[in-house]
Amino acid sequence: MLSGDKIRTEHLTAYYGPKPAITDVTLGFAEHAVSAIIGPSGCGKSTLIRCLNRMHETVARTRVEGQVVLDGEDIYQLDPVRVRRRVGMVFQKPNPFVTMSIYNNVSAALRFNGRPSREETDRQVVRSLQQAALWDEVKDRIDAPAVSLSGGQQQRLCIARALAAEPEVLLMDEPCSALDPIATAKIEELIKKLKEEYTVIIVTHNMQQAARVADNTAFMYIGKLIEFGPTEELFERPKESLTEAYITGRFG
Amino acid sequence: MNADPLADTGRPRGYDLEIRQLKARAVAMGEWALGMVHDGWRAFKAGDFTAAQAVLDRGAELDRLDEDIEHATIAFLVLRQPTAGDLRTAAGVLKITTHLDRVGRLGFDMARITAAGPLKGPADLQDVLERMDNAVESMVRQCLEALGHDRADLARELFRRDDEVDQLHRDANRIILRELRSKTSDTPRVAEALLVARHFERIADNACKVGEKTVYALTGQRRSEYLPRHRYMPYALEAPLSTPETTEHPPPG
Amino acid sequence: MKPFDRHARRKLLSHTIAVLSGLTVIAVLYPLVSIIYEAFALGGGVLFQTRFFTAVPPNACSAISCQTVGIGPDIVGTLILIGIASGISVPVGVLAAIFASEYRAKGLGRAISFTADVLTGVPSIIMGAFIYGYFVIYYPTIAYSAYTGGLALSAIMTPIVVRTTEEGLRVVPNSVREAALALGITKWKATLRIVLVAALPAVATGVLLAVMRAAGEAAPLLFTALGSNLYPTGLGHPIGALPLLIYFFALSPYSNQVKVAWGATLFLLLLILIVNIVSRLMIHRMKVRMGGA
Repeated sequence: MLSGDKIRTEHLTAYYGPKPAITDVTLGFAEHAVSAIIGPSGCGKSTLIRCLNRMHETVARTRVEGQVVLDGEDIYQLDPVRVRRRVGMVFQKPNPFVTMSIYNNVSAALRFNGRPSREETDRQVVRSLQQAALWDEVKDRIDAPAVSLSGGQQQRLCIARALAAEPEVLLMDEPCSALDPIATAKIEELIKKLKEEYTVIIVTHNMQQAARVADNTAFMYIGKLIEFGPTEELFERPKESLTEAYITGRFG
Repeated sequence: MNADPLADTGRPRGYDLEIRQLKARAVAMGEWALGMVHDGWRAFKAGDFTAAQAVLDRGAELDRLDEDIEHATIAFLVLRQPTAGDLRTAAGVLKITTHLDRVGRLGFDMARITAAGPLKGPADLQDVLERMDNAVESMVRQCLEALGHDRADLARELFRRDDEVDQLHRDANRIILRELRSKTSDTPRVAEALLVARHFERIADNACKVGEKTVYALTGQRRSEYLPRHRYMPYALEAPLSTPETTEHPPPG
Repeated sequence: MKPFDRHARRKLLSHTIAVLSGLTVIAVLYPLVSIIYEAFALGGGVLFQTRFFTAVPPNACSAISCQTVGIGPDIVGTLILIGIASGISVPVGVLAAIFASEYRAKGLGRAISFTADVLTGVPSIIMGAFIYGYFVIYYPTIAYSAYTGGLALSAIMTPIVVRTTEEGLRVVPNSVREAALALGITKWKATLRIVLVAALPAVATGVLLAVMRAAGEAAPLLFTALGSNLYPTGLGHPIGALPLLIYFFALSPYSNQVKVAWGATLFLLLLILIVNIVSRLMIHRMKVRMGGA
């Protein structure tokens, strides 16, 4: 664990009911870098990132042991609502608020968590949409319903919405798996730019995607962390034979 | 357990076969090149134009093998997008074929400079060249075995044997210079022997490189991770050899 | 058997079933159509008398020249009672449904759900009797009044509101809740201002259903609101309602009162029909504005 880690887990174990989905995971994510988590279905990668913003516990009968340390503080000792404002999340299937316009979606975090002025909100909305590379496409229809956008645009809208809350860390749970290749490529470009301002952690089942966007990659298998290191090293010269077997497609 | 553990992966069924084939093709090309060295040297030694011509005619096939392997490897890279060991193997094969091509070219060249009549000259020259040929052919065979049978140990051993060939090369040079200085030798043929000795040294060097790439493909290790850094010096500055017929320049210090 | 025969038999069977289905539809629609027809036939004339909607109902009168007058007080009474009942049942019902659906981990949520389910099937007269036993007897000042009448109707409306709201909330995909929570919005804010808003068409439909039901109930009002032929002067006194009027006057031996009853029946039917149509249109517009979700 480097002192340059923005957020890290310490011996993290998370349960659904009596069964642990992840076991004793200790993993650090560097600031202003993109870290990817790969592994076969059911390896626990989604559970892991849902523990990073305390979304895991919103499901009934879940339990967490261990710590998640953000800037030196264990997030499980803090108010979960505040934690979620600092650690944002984008989900697998784009989920804009269907009852709201584009503007209201992006400004949702601002409107519900405080009452900034109209000018401030406007400014934040424009900035977030620009960061999400969506501004040019929606600037003349910002009050249109969010559902009028295409799938790829909706996902970028969700990214803008998450960014508008000004998080420090952005979690992305397979953000491109519901999108076509062109939309995927746009979002991958976006992710590479986002790391200048945020710490990005992305779960993906697509190894080539991890190879394309991530600085560091972690491989998980059946709830355990098998290997973690710079992406190029992990893909060219993995240390664990299990890692090699997975990335060369021998299982999973 | 599934009946076919590979049935559920994203890995196409012929994948492993393709990798093995790439290596097998490289080995086959190496054997072709080795044959050119073997026969090229014998043609040169015997001064046999017919034999030399036969070797020269094999050059086209060498080129074809090289191109085919390159094509197959690129296709493998683009279609299978391999990672880890598979990627290293493909990348390794590409460079290995370059070195094997050079080995074949060196044999080709020995045939090219064949002159009429057998190589004359002092017995010790003939002997040292013969020993170089044996050592070098054996090294090429060893590097091909390492590649074909995944033997990183054999590959690493080639570096030690390369040192032996270097020694032989120095011996050959010494003899040849001595001959050139004496006015009684057949200068043109002795000069060709100088070339041939150098070719042998290059072949050994290329065989070493094949070994190096084989180690990388199998383990991911780069040369600096298992070889101590060797500081080369001009031959003249190295420790004197055992025989008294050294150069007129005494080594300094 | 030759394929042609098999094919012909299948077609015949298919057509037979289609015809039978059509016949059953007619059988089902017949009562509804005949009610409307009868109502028009017997009450239509009365409806167009000038003071029908404002005058008070007529007293018993056996002379040929008896006036059939109006149902004004009962219209007002129905509106007041529905107003009171909604004012109780909508907030209580919606909040109970939210608790049952969003805070489900507690067994209480499931208990609420189950209870509401059962209560929707309870006959409305039992609700009336319940309110009678608890409020009418022990609070003599408001014994027979709009208050107790409204309570009785709310006892009928609340379970319906709970059930439909809960259903509407359940249909809201979980991704909406997760998206809101992941933005650092507190759970109650997310539930009220995002999830409930997404379920609004379903909630509105549920309230509409409940109101329709309550508007037509006479039984629970029999011993709570009691009924009155005068315009209501305050909420603490007995109050009339359209179903009550219909009940009393339909059984009357006096033809002018019976005519008024038919007029009121037709009016109530038309009212329900119109409110239904208008509300559905509004709900449809709501759905469209929300993006056809």
